[in-house]
Amino acid sequence: MVGGTGGARVETGTGTSPARTATTRTSTTATSTGTTAGSTRRQVTRRLLASAAVAVMAPLVGASRPARPVAGTWDGPGDTAFEEIYRGRLIRVTWTHRSGGAGPGEWHVTVDDRPLHLMRRADGTWLSVVDHYQSYRTPLEAARGAVDELGPGQRLRDLAPGPVGDELRRLHMGGAHSGVHA
Amino acid sequence: MAYTRKDVGKLTREERRRFVNALLTIKRRGEYDDFVRTHIRYFTADGENGLRPAHMAPSFLPWHRKFLLELERALRRVDSSVTVPYWDWTSDRTARSAPWSEDLLGGTGRRSDQQVTTGPFAYAHGNWTLKEGVTDGAFLTRDLGRSHDPIQLPTKSELEWALTDPVYDVAPWDSTVTKGFRNKLEGWGTGRGSASWLNHNRVHRWIGGVMLGAASVNDPVFWLHHAFIDLQWTRWQRRHRGARYLPATPPGPGNAQHGRILARHQKLPPWDVTPDELEDMSRIYRYA
Repeated sequence: MVGGTGGARVETGTGTSPARTATTRTSTTATSTGTTAGSTRRQVTRRLLASAAVAVMAPLVGASRPARPVAGTWDGPGDTAFEEIYRGRLIRVTWTHRSGGAGPGEWHVTVDDRPLHLMRRADGTWLSVVDHYQSYRTPLEAARGAVDELGPGQRLRDLAPGPVGDELRRLHMGGAHSGVHA
Repeated sequence: MAYTRKDVGKLTREERRRFVNALLTIKRRGEYDDFVRTHIRYFTADGENGLRPAHMAPSFLPWHRKFLLELERALRRVDSSVTVPYWDWTSDRTARSAPWSEDLLGGTGRRSDQQVTTGPFAYAHGNWTLKEGVTDGAFLTRDLGRSHDPIQLPTKSELEWALTDPVYDVAPWDSTVTKGFRNKLEGWGTGRGSASWLNHNRVHRWIGGVMLGAASVNDPVFWLHHAFIDLQWTRWQRRHRGARYLPATPPGPGNAQHGRILARHQKLPPWDVTPDELEDMSRIYRYA
């Protein structure tokens, strides 16, 4: 199984989003690039909202502290976002569509506005750079898992993959590096 | 003349001192942080399109074998008597066992922030400031046994379960395979939570702190853990005479794993060496 294969990921990623969804805020930006893309975004939003309802009925494990809604307006990059305060940290999860039809898009996750690098496992679960030896069902759960392991006062350092993808591609046979990195 | 890697519990006081001194020396020179960076750089997960040289792939064992050899070479340039000891976590199972002594790795982190405050790698001594990490934390962290929700180290029988598998690895050569020595040892299980962490992976989790993340090399126990993992490969070979690294040849162009894993005769980046060339180490080192 290869990463970045579609909008289905959106449902996978959020359909199981945990109880904290009740306190997350979903929003869309107004940077429409065309009818098709806009339509897709609306679908994504609906899925997010629908999954929020499901999540309220079926609270999941993973969050042990109450979260509260975040005030303010989301004006970062990306089409759809939800965010929450978890154990005193601001987690923001964004789904960004790619322009020009080059694949479906990718997740971006930040913790306290620092990017959290995520990786996809072949079984569809997610790993974070903070916790490389356990995978989670959704990017949000992976972000919470990372927060659980962050010591007090510690902030993420931006460990962007940098030249790695290119380096490996150059060394060994082609294939575009997947866009599932957050 | 092959050198010997020893059980960490059997090192003399002088051997412990020399090992620690060599680590602190290469850290001071900046060499150690290159190892941290390399491990971060080559961690590719199997749900992505990139080549996986180091994890979730057959080359997990030879990649880490070469990684250990490079570290050991750096240590031996400082002190030619030093070799990397191994930590048998099936025997030394507590937070007070051999590796965690005051004159070797120090103990678990303090409760408030997991900071390691004992032993030569305690931040306050000024010799072990983390430069490459997932967070901006400058000190080594550990939470031995995972205090907030305790787990146990893998048992002898769990390790045995891996060693009895007669096949090195099986398709699709990733973290989802439930057969084959490699993943049973690497430890990507099915399901969620505690039951899904096996052998190698479970040890990273038992230690906690920086050992959980991409920069796990920041904790020198990384090497003692991986020396013991490396020893299991040797034990497995002895038990299954003639069994080899698999796959012998790369998956073809139509295969989903094409270009994503390394076969027996392909070079392991970033080095100029193949799994085939790393299967027999008997002329370089042996385990006591």
